[in-house]
Amino acid sequence: MRFSNEKIVGTSVLPDEAIPLLEGEGRFINDISFSGMYHVAFLRSQYAHARLVSVDTEAARAMPGVIKVMTGAELAGKVEPFRSMPNRFSGGESVQHWLAVDKVRFCGEAICAVVAEDRATAEDAVDLIEVDYDPLPVVTKAREGEMDDAPRIHDECANNHLIKREYERGEVDEAFANAHAVVERSFHIGRKQAMCLEGRGCVAAFRQGSFKLSVWMSHQLPYVVRHYLAKHLKLGETDVRVIAAQTGGGFGQKASIYPEEFLCSYLALQLRRPIKWVEDRLENMVASTHARENDVELKIAFDKDGHILALDSDIWADVGAYSTYLWSAGMEPLQIAGLMPGPYKVPAMRYVTRGVATNKTPVGPYRAVGRPTASTSLELLLDDAARQLGMDPVELRKRNLITADLMPYRNANNLLHDHVNYEACLDLSAAKANYQKLREGQESAAPNGKLRGIGVACFAELTGLGTSTAVGPGTLLQPGRDAVTLRLETSGALTIAAALPSQGQRIATAMCQVAADELGMKLEDVNCVTNDTAMAPYGFGTFASRTAVFGSGAVIKAAQELRERLLALGAHLLETPKEELGIVDSAIQTLDRSKSISLANLAEQSFFSAKHIPDELNQGFEITSFYDPKFGSFAAGAHTVVVDVDPETGDVEIVRYVAVEDVGRVINPAVVEGQIIGGIAQGIGEALLEELIYDEDGQPRTVTLADYLVPSSMEIPKIELHHANTPSGAIGGFKGCGEGSIIGAVGAIACAINDALSRKGGDLRAFPATPERVLRALNVEMRDA
Amino acid sequence: MARDRTITCKVNGRAYEKSVPVRQSLADFLRDTLSLTGTHLGCEHGVCGACTVLMNGRSVRSCLTLAVQADETDIVTIEGLRSDSGEWHQIQKSFHENFGLQCGYCTPGFLITAIELLEENPDPTENEVREALSGNICRCSGYSAIVTAVMAAARDMLELQKT
Amino acid sequence: MKAPWFEYQAPRTLEEGLETLRDAGEDGRVLSGGQSLMPMLNMRIAAPTHLVDINRIDALNHLTVESDTLRLGALVRHADVLRSKSIREGWSLLAEATTQIAHIAIRNRGTVCGSISHNDPAAEHPGVLAAYDGTVVIASTEGTREVSAEEFSDGMMSTILEPGEMVIEVRYPRPAPGAGQAFVEYARRLGDFAIAGVAAILEVRNGTCERARLTIVGMGDGPFRATGAENILTGETLDASTSAELFAAASAKVMDEVDPAEDVHASSGYRRHLAGVLTKRALITAFARTGGV
Repeated sequence: MRFSNEKIVGTSVLPDEAIPLLEGEGRFINDISFSGMYHVAFLRSQYAHARLVSVDTEAARAMPGVIKVMTGAELAGKVEPFRSMPNRFSGGESVQHWLAVDKVRFCGEAICAVVAEDRATAEDAVDLIEVDYDPLPVVTKAREGEMDDAPRIHDECANNHLIKREYERGEVDEAFANAHAVVERSFHIGRKQAMCLEGRGCVAAFRQGSFKLSVWMSHQLPYVVRHYLAKHLKLGETDVRVIAAQTGGGFGQKASIYPEEFLCSYLALQLRRPIKWVEDRLENMVASTHARENDVELKIAFDKDGHILALDSDIWADVGAYSTYLWSAGMEPLQIAGLMPGPYKVPAMRYVTRGVATNKTPVGPYRAVGRPTASTSLELLLDDAARQLGMDPVELRKRNLITADLMPYRNANNLLHDHVNYEACLDLSAAKANYQKLREGQESAAPNGKLRGIGVACFAELTGLGTSTAVGPGTLLQPGRDAVTLRLETSGALTIAAALPSQGQRIATAMCQVAADELGMKLEDVNCVTNDTAMAPYGFGTFASRTAVFGSGAVIKAAQELRERLLALGAHLLETPKEELGIVDSAIQTLDRSKSISLANLAEQSFFSAKHIPDELNQGFEITSFYDPKFGSFAAGAHTVVVDVDPETGDVEIVRYVAVEDVGRVINPAVVEGQIIGGIAQGIGEALLEELIYDEDGQPRTVTLADYLVPSSMEIPKIELHHANTPSGAIGGFKGCGEGSIIGAVGAIACAINDALSRKGGDLRAFPATPERVLRALNVEMRDA
Repeated sequence: MARDRTITCKVNGRAYEKSVPVRQSLADFLRDTLSLTGTHLGCEHGVCGACTVLMNGRSVRSCLTLAVQADETDIVTIEGLRSDSGEWHQIQKSFHENFGLQCGYCTPGFLITAIELLEENPDPTENEVREALSGNICRCSGYSAIVTAVMAAARDMLELQKT
Repeated sequence: MKAPWFEYQAPRTLEEGLETLRDAGEDGRVLSGGQSLMPMLNMRIAAPTHLVDINRIDALNHLTVESDTLRLGALVRHADVLRSKSIREGWSLLAEATTQIAHIAIRNRGTVCGSISHNDPAAEHPGVLAAYDGTVVIASTEGTREVSAEEFSDGMMSTILEPGEMVIEVRYPRPAPGAGQAFVEYARRLGDFAIAGVAAILEVRNGTCERARLTIVGMGDGPFRATGAENILTGETLDASTSAELFAAASAKVMDEVDPAEDVHASSGYRRHLAGVLTKRALITAFARTGGV
């Protein structure tokens, strides 16, 4: 008999997590201070590729207030550099020293670390360091960098291929030979970065509390950091505590292992003082991982009814100077290629994908990794096919979506689609947008000579991946299971502990909601800690839209066991058979409530009056459960976007945005809505505004927030959000929702722009769709000097 | 070279007299000298708006203002929004009830900017709200919930004024 | 991004301020709004030895409307311009351009004279002052001098200010009654620096364009005075039947004459094209606003 509440999951519970933030009492990295703390500033490379001939730190070391100036030469031999995760698709090893030793390979690479009494003094000292660079030839384009005669960035990496993989499944050549229509295009997605409002940073402290090394970091994966810190600093894992401090945005940029925080930890041990480093914005633009910058050549074969017969793609990802530690340079190229089919039936596919090293900031994971690139390329090509075949673009998509009646459906990329309804999303999106009416009125609708375009993009987003599907394809470190501990406290309250830190997604709130419902407890009696390795069981952390699935799934598993134990003791204390009892509002009671005992009372007896409780019923109320969903849970969506393009200025205005999403069983609707709209906003940035630009010497040209443009409140239209949710096959029916919407946004906006341009014979395949790119796509004459 | 100057200022209603390095920003003065770490640094070149505080009733970028320039001024930061008895300003309530924040890093700047807006324009349209907030960057929310929160605060504050 | 060291003074009178500025020598800088200077210090791309903070000099804080001139002292903020009904009514181009400057918090501190002194080619104020045939009043311990807006600009981020000199006032002649004024710019986002912008003032009497002033912002060097385009319009019959052709010709002339730079936001070709498009739009709007005279 089960009569728990089942009312809290699905409601927009106000998050307690937000309270300190609203009062200015959140403790972000830069808010943490210890007495005697030193501050670090880095000298960073001014050259994209150069030999370091000499580094003169004498004047810097002599400055009053400077404690130490660390160079790569001093560090070499004392710590192991980051060798790229041996990935079975690796073209060669990339070795990244924490501070450059003989060579620098990107503008912004750290060369020296100055430790001083305050940050301003550290920066003064940085200005006094003299570096003699011997410039080397520079690689700035992936397609050029893979040529045989291109300069080599890593000695053992031929053709600068940090990663290369080929894949074929099904009869691809045959499909193309027999196709009724073949559409083929090239695409370019520009380089971008997560641009969290808060940069990276850490406070590393020696013997603060009971740990030899405690490190507060702005980071998404505290236990993974602990693992590698212990390894690189030759400490036992129990010597190290990692706390993900209040983190101001992550989006994947804070899910890699970087040299700076590791160096600060080393310095804390060496100098035996707390060490703080805060990444300022100028640093962040060059020192934190970049994303995207992909070239895709895509070819699709169709039959006469518009069914996809085969996909053939050639992909280049400009992955920067090093294979980032943990996820490797393989992330983007492998995911673009492998996830290209999206929600569509693809019987045969082939790809060649490459991660090419260049002399730029290394690329790491960022919201939806390769899927926006893959989806945008595919969706644009579907629109091209629709035009060629004389078919409506939505109709073409309907014919190709994997439908519910075919599921479980294994696609040519070997992914299994189940518990998701792509068609329902597309139908609802078209209905809510009044798609037919939009098309009918398209020519006359736009004001003032503007060109109106309509774009519809469907996406599939694999969330909550278990061990059978690689998040980091080919990497040695394979996440896929996570643990949660539920503990009844002496007061009868429940503590949930997990290593799943939030960067604003309200993970703790969501897990409290699930636990409260599963256990029949009042929400106010449930608390959650998510950021501290000293408190949580092992977990991989927050990335790849996994916490709703893993955290909630593990909570449910643990709660089931905890319930049993609580009811067993309750049965003893109430002298009632267990089958007649349930838990409601934090009390164990019979259905008619004639007998009841609060969990507070039960806990007190269990802990403080154990004499009369049989041993086997009092083995503790602390349960740790691991959860591996084995497979992933497909989230999905269909976004319909209407744009007006100004053919004189190239300006693109989004005039209507309809988003339909399938995020499985929703825990907190308001939180989910925030995630979806946040993802759409980043997608708008990606489609229209954001680009990191380098010149041919590898010098970054977009170095401030005046150059790198992210959307403000004026660039985001009203989003009409609707749901077509299908529960997942994972425990609880949850799906992840943090990344899907950015995929839909980039794809739908790209399609809408091209729909507008196609009316004038224009064609835009490079993004972001800056006004200038739009005008060039319209063949508007523009005279340079 | 005189590297320090003594300034007197009021912050959140409390008077201070402090010796400050002339090069110290107002943001760093608030955060490091007064331990009011609620004002955040997101760019230190005036674009992101996370550092926005009120100086003599007007919003300013504390990262672009020197601490010495705050001499003889009245500063309000996010910490000063709740009353002495701990009750929240309406804007804080509205942001909480409308999920107007996620990571919270940009929130201090938004609250201050919203307060100034509603002071000058107690009944703004949605477009006026969006325009007033356009100098504050949020990377998490896509602004929708923030705009809703400010509109709700405007409505609630007007209601309170009537009673 | 912490500023390097500098000497700091905060004089209380103009006399004191000018003396301090003189003594600061070549590497002394005036600190007014600080919205351009402080980012440069925080990024360490500028390292002035002395900052002379003029914010305490009350005499500089005046916004004076006279019958034929608007005079703005060095401490008039962009926000003050927006709050002034007299400016909205009499110098609407100035008010309109100021709405495009950055965002509220920046406008609360940034000053008009500071913007003029900084002379960023993408900034609005230098172009607007030139469109009004405005002047700049320069002061030093040697005295004051008044120069035209165009004389004042000396190229990108450069003016004729010598060490020890500062701008204490800018002056805008009042346009003729019935003049149509417009400012149109295109930026990637609201408040960003203009990729291109056009300030236009048209005086039309009895169907004839008696006077046209056109400056283009964002062209790389400083405000570009489009005299060629002005000449196309001046003296011509300007009415509903002639405006389209005239404005197209003016726009084409502007595209011929500007020499825009390229940067991370736009190529020179796109800027040139945009200058043409915005010229046409600004002229249409200014013309629509001309009063019946």
